[in-house]
Amino acid sequence: MPSMNLVLLISFLLFSIGVAGVLIRRNALIILMCAELMLNAANLNLIAFARHSGTVTGQAFALMVMGLAAAEVAIGLAIVVALYRKKNTITVDEINLLKG
Amino acid sequence: MPFAQSLLGSLTRDLPFLYGPLFLIVAATLMIWPGDVFVGRNNKRVWSYVASLALVAAGVIAMLTEPGAGFSNMFRVDGLTKGFQFLCILAGLITIVLSQPQLNALREQTVEYYALILFSISGMMLLVGATDLVSVYFSLELMALCVYILVAYLRTQERSIEAGLKYFLLGAFSSGILLYGISLLFAAAGGTTTNLAELNEKLATVSSNGNLLVFAGVLMVLVGFAFKVAGVPFHMWSPDAYEGAPTPITAFMSMAPKAAALGAFVRVFGTGFHGIATDWVLPLSFIAGASMVLGNVAALRQQSMKRLLAYSSIAHVGYMLLGVLSSDVQAGAQAIWLYMLTYLVMQSGAFAVIIYLQGKGEGERIDDFRGLAKRQPVLAFAMMVFLLSLAGIPPLLGFFSKFYLFKLAIEQGFVTLTVLALLTSAVAAYYYLNVVASMYFKEPVGEIERKPLSTAFTFVLTVSCALILIGTFFGPKLLDWTAKIVLG
Repeated sequence: MPSMNLVLLISFLLFSIGVAGVLIRRNALIILMCAELMLNAANLNLIAFARHSGTVTGQAFALMVMGLAAAEVAIGLAIVVALYRKKNTITVDEINLLKG
Repeated sequence: MPFAQSLLGSLTRDLPFLYGPLFLIVAATLMIWPGDVFVGRNNKRVWSYVASLALVAAGVIAMLTEPGAGFSNMFRVDGLTKGFQFLCILAGLITIVLSQPQLNALREQTVEYYALILFSISGMMLLVGATDLVSVYFSLELMALCVYILVAYLRTQERSIEAGLKYFLLGAFSSGILLYGISLLFAAAGGTTTNLAELNEKLATVSSNGNLLVFAGVLMVLVGFAFKVAGVPFHMWSPDAYEGAPTPITAFMSMAPKAAALGAFVRVFGTGFHGIATDWVLPLSFIAGASMVLGNVAALRQQSMKRLLAYSSIAHVGYMLLGVLSSDVQAGAQAIWLYMLTYLVMQSGAFAVIIYLQGKGEGERIDDFRGLAKRQPVLAFAMMVFLLSLAGIPPLLGFFSKFYLFKLAIEQGFVTLTVLALLTSAVAAYYYLNVVASMYFKEPVGEIERKPLSTAFTFVLTVSCALILIGTFFGPKLLDWTAKIVLG
């Protein structure tokens, strides 16, 4: 049984890579992948701690999160494709019609 | 087969709690297929009637549901659930009415438009009754995913797609943060439960000696929710998404998802994280204060009416967060519900005017409202009532809901925040009155043809306007009514 702190450390690393990717990278597809990485970091926590305590709640939760991640990617890719057809780019810096 | 039998038994026992949202899901699915084969995809009129009927039916079913809890305490029907479900249904109906002129510009794909609205509302109805972090997360996502598509719905218009992409990327980011927060709380509670009531006890014991996991988890859940209700500093998506989205969807986004997310906000933080209030009250106060200040100040320099309403809705969310801060959950939920109800009435009226003007190729910029009083006195008067009520000018309905919220905040000891709220309300009066002034005291630019209002529009306008004016006389009684409805 690996130490639970180790699990937390790894999941935090995964999560940080995801957050950093979303904030730094400018390609819409990479941002999408990094957002998925964040979900998977959470999944790792859920599964590890559910296994640790011997219950199934967290494992079922993680399974459903995977399904949800797939739905999210489907919608994200559809929007990215629509944008690419229109503008021929998926770099978020060049998407600046609306000014915040 | 004891397992299958017990599963069947609990399903037949618990399913009635979900009849309202399930009805919507089934109706929307049937609309997409096989409904489109029989009626035709582009028969806008029929689909709008079908969708409205489905919404009304689901609303009636949801209101008649017996209170109780089911699905291993994952879903709960009580006064709060019913009250906020009512708001979401109402917002959906208003959106469908407002969608008519805009959809006439579209050539295809109208079944999906209505079906997505129904799916998203079923997600909201589930969200406000969710009492487990699992059900909270998934119903939140069901709601959000449908709204992403609706924002990008005009896929031939660059603005709409851009707004959709921005909203989607930030939304996916925030849902990642929310889920990670949930997983940290799950870990801190020993990896056994995600139920809000059970978590509350476990977290309170764990965090009594300062647990970093609990603190980080609660903060991340807070950030996730702040993204969904567009509280500063997590509001960046909201002005862009509001401006780029089709205008009826802008109206929808400013009403329904906000109402649902605030309902869930109250429930999750009031019942689930009540025992660890010290961890989140301060950060949430900062979010509320920053929303009031930035929302109102940024609205001052907006040229576009949709952006102005976007920033002002950030400010309104700041006020409503005062209700979430309240340690008396029931009173907080009531004040928020009342505020949201009046906000819905005023906002729908204002958007009806904008959409009507937009149909004639204007209405986006504040300058388009110049001299409206000369061209269309009745419309200008209605718009003035909506704007003054949004600003919270005393005799109107908007004042009373603000009054109850601020009174509650003072009773709960958030004096500094309430003073801030009052000061920023004064700032808000400036930009609302600015529009009123340009309607009444400026010359119209050029000659613009008059087009009659459609019946449905007149209906929305008259009803909202009448409600605000009538509410003026019944203001003090309003809270008693809400107490009865929300307390159930």
